[in-house]
Amino acid sequence: MIGIAEALVHSASLIWLVPALPLAAALLIGGRMLQGVSGDDAEPVTAALARGAALGSGLLLLVFLLAALLAGAPGHLLLGNWFAVPGFSVPVSFLLDQTALLVAAVVAFIAWVTISFSTAYLHREPRFHRFHFGMSLFLGGMLLIVLAGNAVLGFVGWELCGLASWLLIAYADERPRATGNALFAFLCNRVGDAGFLLAIGLGFWWLGSVEWPVLLGGTLAETVKLRMLLLGLLVAALAKSAQLPFTPWITRALEGPTPSSAVFYGAVMVHAGVYLLIRINPLLQQVPDMAVAVAVAGLATALYGWLCGRVSSDVKTSLVLATVVQVGLMVFACGMGWTEMATGHLLLHAVWRAYQFLLAPSYLVLAPKPLPLSRWLAGNGQLYTAALQRFWIEPLIAALLQRPTLLLGQDVRKLDERVLERLVGAPDLQQAAAATEGGGSAGVGGRLLGWLATHFQRLESRLVFQNERGGLVGVLQRLGEMIRMLEHLLEQPRYLMLMVMATFVVIL
Amino acid sequence: MSLPPLSILLLLPLLGAPLCWLAGERQARTVALCCAVSVLLVALAVLAGFDVGNGDFQWRERHVWIPGINVAWDLGVDGLSVLFLPATASLFLAAMVIGQRAPQPLPALYYALLLLLEFATLGVFCALDVLLFFSFWELTLIPLYFLIGLWGLPAAGRAAATRYLLLMLSGGVCLLMAFLLVAANAGMQFDLPTLLAGRLPYERQLIIFLLLLFGFAVKAPLVPLHSWLPSLALGGPAAITALLVGLKLGAYGLLRFAIPLAPDAAQSLHWLLAGLGTVSVLYGAVAALAQTNLRAVIAYGSVAHVGLVVLGMASFSVAAVQGSVVLLLSFSLTSGGAFLLLNSLQRRVDSCDLSALSGVSQRMPQLSRFFLLFGLAAMGLPGTIGFPAEFLIIVSALQVHSGAALAALFAMVVCAAAFLVPYRAAFQGPVLHTAVAEADDLVTREFWVALLLVLLVVGLGVYPQPLLDLIRPAAELWVARLGQSG
Repeated sequence: MIGIAEALVHSASLIWLVPALPLAAALLIGGRMLQGVSGDDAEPVTAALARGAALGSGLLLLVFLLAALLAGAPGHLLLGNWFAVPGFSVPVSFLLDQTALLVAAVVAFIAWVTISFSTAYLHREPRFHRFHFGMSLFLGGMLLIVLAGNAVLGFVGWELCGLASWLLIAYADERPRATGNALFAFLCNRVGDAGFLLAIGLGFWWLGSVEWPVLLGGTLAETVKLRMLLLGLLVAALAKSAQLPFTPWITRALEGPTPSSAVFYGAVMVHAGVYLLIRINPLLQQVPDMAVAVAVAGLATALYGWLCGRVSSDVKTSLVLATVVQVGLMVFACGMGWTEMATGHLLLHAVWRAYQFLLAPSYLVLAPKPLPLSRWLAGNGQLYTAALQRFWIEPLIAALLQRPTLLLGQDVRKLDERVLERLVGAPDLQQAAAATEGGGSAGVGGRLLGWLATHFQRLESRLVFQNERGGLVGVLQRLGEMIRMLEHLLEQPRYLMLMVMATFVVIL
Repeated sequence: MSLPPLSILLLLPLLGAPLCWLAGERQARTVALCCAVSVLLVALAVLAGFDVGNGDFQWRERHVWIPGINVAWDLGVDGLSVLFLPATASLFLAAMVIGQRAPQPLPALYYALLLLLEFATLGVFCALDVLLFFSFWELTLIPLYFLIGLWGLPAAGRAAATRYLLLMLSGGVCLLMAFLLVAANAGMQFDLPTLLAGRLPYERQLIIFLLLLFGFAVKAPLVPLHSWLPSLALGGPAAITALLVGLKLGAYGLLRFAIPLAPDAAQSLHWLLAGLGTVSVLYGAVAALAQTNLRAVIAYGSVAHVGLVVLGMASFSVAAVQGSVVLLLSFSLTSGGAFLLLNSLQRRVDSCDLSALSGVSQRMPQLSRFFLLFGLAAMGLPGTIGFPAEFLIIVSALQVHSGAALAALFAMVVCAAAFLVPYRAAFQGPVLHTAVAEADDLVTREFWVALLLVLLVVGLGVYPQPLLDLIRPAAELWVARLGQSG
């Protein structure tokens, strides 16, 4: 028995296989997509790849979980360097504690179940392969987030999940609504990514390493630094878990096929932020006011999701807003420091919500009569309107961030066209035609050159062409006449002979 | 006696150019392709024989060229430049394979000029004599002028060619003056290792640095000297633009000459470098948002990336220099690849304007997927070569220029939008135009070129360590030289 346990512990270095399997499946499916496979015959292979990878990861995780139960969790595991430069290195390391292994196993099994479900659900869909590509990429990314031993690997997973989410929201990519929503969700997530990267950079700078144990055990003398570091991580967590003020992206993210919504926004990806909060909780609790802020954000989001959910009129939106409520409560728990409760909540909620989302298409049959709006909300007109409009957060984001950036873009373009081009003064399209006609010069540089040229030309023409017999022209003309006379003389034989003889005399 | 590989590398395209011209219309492409393939093989051989542990110049060869003024045919590569040789060679080869078979008018001349350009570009990366470098630098202009003017869009191409030539010449004058100033101080020595060993008085360094900065900033391009690039991207032939956008000679010049030749000035003016870099990052990202043509989007995106490279250099740390070189290489692959795909798109649909495109991915799924991957790599997605590069630069810059790095992080978000918004408009959505509906996907040769580039982008992104190791000794020497004279 002990021998088996030891063998299992030693096998922990195979943990890299867990995220690598789905990523390899994604790579293979991507290769098949590039080959342009299609038709019924191609479907089983793709589905088997995706499903097999998910199942393989899940079973491996079970083994590791068993080993952890028997012989204790292996903890921080360093497998080598991904890349290293003078000053810092990015190792391939995993942090395998009970939480990580448990969450990872649940994630893998939910993904396996969902992929199995989708094989029939999406049969003969034209984008069957893309769906499985996205799911495998996502699973790889998510497992990387959960198991990563340092922030950089976590960030890699973070980005891969964001990309997979974009791919699957824009699943029906001929519909502008779907692609627009995909873009919105991706950019909201990208803000979080920037925060994550900032925290990583600061971690390397101040602590020299972003291994979770170093980062979390790190004591920074100055709270300002700690706050900066935390701020980046919190922005990342709140953005990924759709907490206020980032919540609007998740209601727009439901354009993808139902199974992917189930995994991304119902069950798994939306919990990534909570998971990050659980990870960084030791750090968070060092700064009580930020912890309180997180708790407040969680509570506010829960309230927001609940109110908006009361008035939403379709199944998927109701479900996702209910998810937001639960996730908000988890974030609240994280803010209060109750990480074990948050972990338990996360696991139970993930499983339950995945089931609910997969069932969503059948809800119209299962629940033919929706509940009426509660009386107090119906009576409170202002609150009702606000909930219907989801508290105008989205227009606010549009007005405060999106529009100014776009307008800035337009301004920059104008600046380029009207100021910089003129300053440089090189010919552009319209002026090119004029310039070939001897038109002229443009821009500061061009004008300066033109002005110089005009003056030089005037100077020259004064010297050369001023009057008929004077100036350089006169001199040249007289010189020309003399040369012509000389030539005329030379043409006569006797002078030619004389010249030849003179030459001989000189040479000899 | 062993053959001098760098000379062979340079002479191959130089001899190939007249051969192409003589071979006539039919055979010109074959000759050019053979030549480009052999250049790539020699470049790979140079890389294979490169001693990774050595930070100094290798494959050095020196023959006196103009004895009166000490100018020599002096070639050599180190970790900072050796990787650009295969990158250049493969990008030229890719441009030839993916481009039109016989670009009208005068296909033979087209290929001859392309090989001449390859000769000059490779020369820029190999030259260790500053005057030789300058000769190669100016020599790139001649083939480029004709390539852009003759094979670009009728009117816009000529205008873009003229603009490019004028701006580059004005930058070139500054470079020549700076090089002469440096050489005059060293007793009219022009070879780079000698010049690097010497130390100039600070005031002299300041003048030299500013002159070099201007000269290279025009070529890079950095804001506000970038206006030639968008016009070139819109008017020039796409294959040539891919080379111009992909191979950032200006940034290389800053790294190789401007900073090492005037180390004290560069370090005291670090704020200028970082500022120019930051402004370019933000400006390029935001301006790309407002473009209505895919070519202009990529062009502005490249301005943003050069800004990031310069921001990295301004940190003067080994990691940042490694990151900058990797980003420049990643750039050759991604921007070059994206432009070559736009060339294919342009040939099929006759426009890269967003108003003429919609739903391209339905008709051309392969082209769209490759283009998306190049775009994501340019955004620094993990798993592509862009990630380690941008990561190293941002993490290093954060420690030296925190504010600038924050701005770069913001630009990261904008860059994602700047790529995905036009991607959505052009490649996603319903098919609205008959030109798109009738277009076919990539043909075999285009597919394979794109696939090879993508494999490089992903492969080097998953396993970047060999690349970083190759650059490291030279980067360490580079930083050490700055420290010595500082």
